[in-house]
Amino acid sequence: MTIHKKVPFLLMLLLWVLAFSGVVSAQGGGGVLRVGMNAPINLDPATGSNDPEILFNRTMYDYLIEVGADGSLVANLATSWEVGEDGLTYRFPLTEGVLFHDGSDFTSADVVYTFNRLKELGSPAVSLMGEFEVSADGDYAVVFTLPAPNADFIFGVASRHALILSEGDTTPGDLEDGVNGTGPFILSEYSPSERAVFVRNENYWIEGQPVLDGVEFIFIDDALTQIDALRSGAVDFIFKVDVDQVFTLESDANIAVLSVPTNQHPVIRIRSDEGSLGEDVRIRQAFKLATNRYELLDTVQEGLGIVGNNDPIGPKYADFFIPQDQAYDAAAACALILEATGEERLSTDFYVVNSFNYESLAVALQQQWALGCIDVNILLREEGIYYADTEWLEVDLGITGWGDRPVPQGYFVEAYVTGGPYNETHFSDPEVDALVEQAATASNLADRAAIYGQISAIFAERGSIIIPWFASVIGATYSNVEGLRMHPFPGQTDFRTVRVNQ
Amino acid sequence: MIQELIKRPLSLLGLIIVGIFVFLALFGSNIAPYGYDDFMRDDNGRVMKRAEPSADHLLGTDKDGRDVFSRVLWGARDIMLLPGIATFFSVIFGTALGMTIGYFGGWIDELISRLFDSLLSIPALVLALVMLGLLGASPFGLVLVVVVLYIPIIARVIRSATLNIRSKGYIEIAKLRGESTFYILTREIFPSILPALTVEAALRFSYAIFLVTSLGFLGLGVQPPSPDWGRMVEEARGEVLRAPWALWSPAAAIAILVIGVNLLADGLRRIFRYEGTMR
Repeated sequence: MTIHKKVPFLLMLLLWVLAFSGVVSAQGGGGVLRVGMNAPINLDPATGSNDPEILFNRTMYDYLIEVGADGSLVANLATSWEVGEDGLTYRFPLTEGVLFHDGSDFTSADVVYTFNRLKELGSPAVSLMGEFEVSADGDYAVVFTLPAPNADFIFGVASRHALILSEGDTTPGDLEDGVNGTGPFILSEYSPSERAVFVRNENYWIEGQPVLDGVEFIFIDDALTQIDALRSGAVDFIFKVDVDQVFTLESDANIAVLSVPTNQHPVIRIRSDEGSLGEDVRIRQAFKLATNRYELLDTVQEGLGIVGNNDPIGPKYADFFIPQDQAYDAAAACALILEATGEERLSTDFYVVNSFNYESLAVALQQQWALGCIDVNILLREEGIYYADTEWLEVDLGITGWGDRPVPQGYFVEAYVTGGPYNETHFSDPEVDALVEQAATASNLADRAAIYGQISAIFAERGSIIIPWFASVIGATYSNVEGLRMHPFPGQTDFRTVRVNQ
Repeated sequence: MIQELIKRPLSLLGLIIVGIFVFLALFGSNIAPYGYDDFMRDDNGRVMKRAEPSADHLLGTDKDGRDVFSRVLWGARDIMLLPGIATFFSVIFGTALGMTIGYFGGWIDELISRLFDSLLSIPALVLALVMLGLLGASPFGLVLVVVVLYIPIIARVIRSATLNIRSKGYIEIAKLRGESTFYILTREIFPSILPALTVEAALRFSYAIFLVTSLGFLGLGVQPPSPDWGRMVEEARGEVLRAPWALWSPAAAIAILVIGVNLLADGLRRIFRYEGTMR
């Protein structure tokens, strides 16, 4: 064969090699998912709590077990779990052959270390777990021992904070020391307030996962800019969409709007400890009477949701939620203000975060409350700063957004019992504390419903929160994203089986 | 001066526009058919969100159901008042400082001029964001930020004008007459730099409007439900498809006012044959 004749053959061979390598690449690569979201502030998995913080860590670490997008418990690093007959022991066999990003083996010592660290730091995860001891049962099993049965214990183990760390990792939030998880992606680049880039963990313990080549978080604090970025194709997924913007997104053929029923709700909270605005129960009652929730749902929320009561139990918990008629009586509110303060009107500052439609909610409340003899001065706060500076735990009156929890007990132990880590209203009621404790041990659904009914009645009478509505969480993806199922708590969305068609 | 402005069509237009906005600042709240934070309701008592412009609501209603026309009228007061007060104080302090360093010169001039140069090298909006971050968002903070930002600019212009005048013969004669420095500055130099000052003040005012509305847009100015035009644009920027009138109305009001003030400043500059600085 002459050189002249060899050329077409060699070219053909080269084309086959290129085509083959392309096929190989396509089989292994699921593209890069770009997520537009607020910048995370607290990067420690044990204490970071909002969606961006959870999502950031969830990308690099794994849970022992987790609450899936459909609300069911799913085994993850644990292969299964067994509950002792007395309800006092929980045994979790672990997956073998799992490697941390640094190549070390995942064993029971890492699980023991992680849960003891959660206890030491007083992580919100522990609020739901209550008292427990954790110990290794060989290299590949752990046992939790409880002093008393706790029906919600398993949800504490699956808490969004309970990401499994490597034993001895004391500063997982310090990225300069490197991140060492077992998770599906490895952090390759991080610029605070700008972006974080993750590459696929080639040694991931689930065969064929993750499908994606990588994930990129682009930090965009402004919700409208996130929407613009999605519409322009600069990001593929956002999860913080205000109802006002659903119309805009639905009119774009390249966008798929995701709506997941959840227990997400804004809380209008009145601080109620000694010396604060709501110390007198009559003031709390006045706020409730001056709030027309039906109008708020109709106007601010465009009717998309269900009016809430005065406690965090929403329609997601169908066994426990009983809609109550929420009386609106501005004149009665005025009478209570006069009775409680001796003044005709009450004036105070009203702190509002600039997320979702909370600014519109605050403006509508300002109008309604003015009729009920309550004058408020709205102070808008940047979401990240407001929560990071813990100002939200101190102010007298404000609106706080609360995300979904798998069980209602999560809200009570975190925010409404004495000393709860997020008790922003400083509410302290021995009767409620006792009932919440009872609810933890009540494994019978009817018993638990009865207890929550009592708590709900107390909150209606002297509680310090108003729930204007419960609504679905709304997100959106670009049309090239496949397999993304948004979690009711969007920060826990699992990207392992997601694919982006480039 | 007014007569000369009237002779120029564009300057006259600027004068009319500014006159109208001054009138609105003074009486807009009386003319406005509704309060700036009133929710408009239909016959059934339902809040009228995003109502199209009509006889009852000339510029429609916004996403919260408030009358846009009324909010624009109410907002005229703030948009004239805050930049107006800020410009006034900037002019007072900037002129005093500029005349002083221009007249005395020497190391004080060198020191303060270099300080101003370093301040002016930072973009105004960046400096404003930093300062408001420290001071907190409030009308007082806004005014203070604009004053601090504009004092160096005005002082530099006035210093330059003072330098040109201080070597004139009539200043030397005043010194020989034994007049005090205060007298020379206020009676001899000040009248001579007044044209430059007038043009500079008009220019600063138009830039102050832009700065204040920009900060309002960024959420660093006044708090809701204020009818600040910058805030109104920010609140309505997601409404382009559903209620564009809520976006265009305050945006147009800002544009018309700034054009009017600029036309007026340009007319003043031509009358005084003054070539000022632009920033």
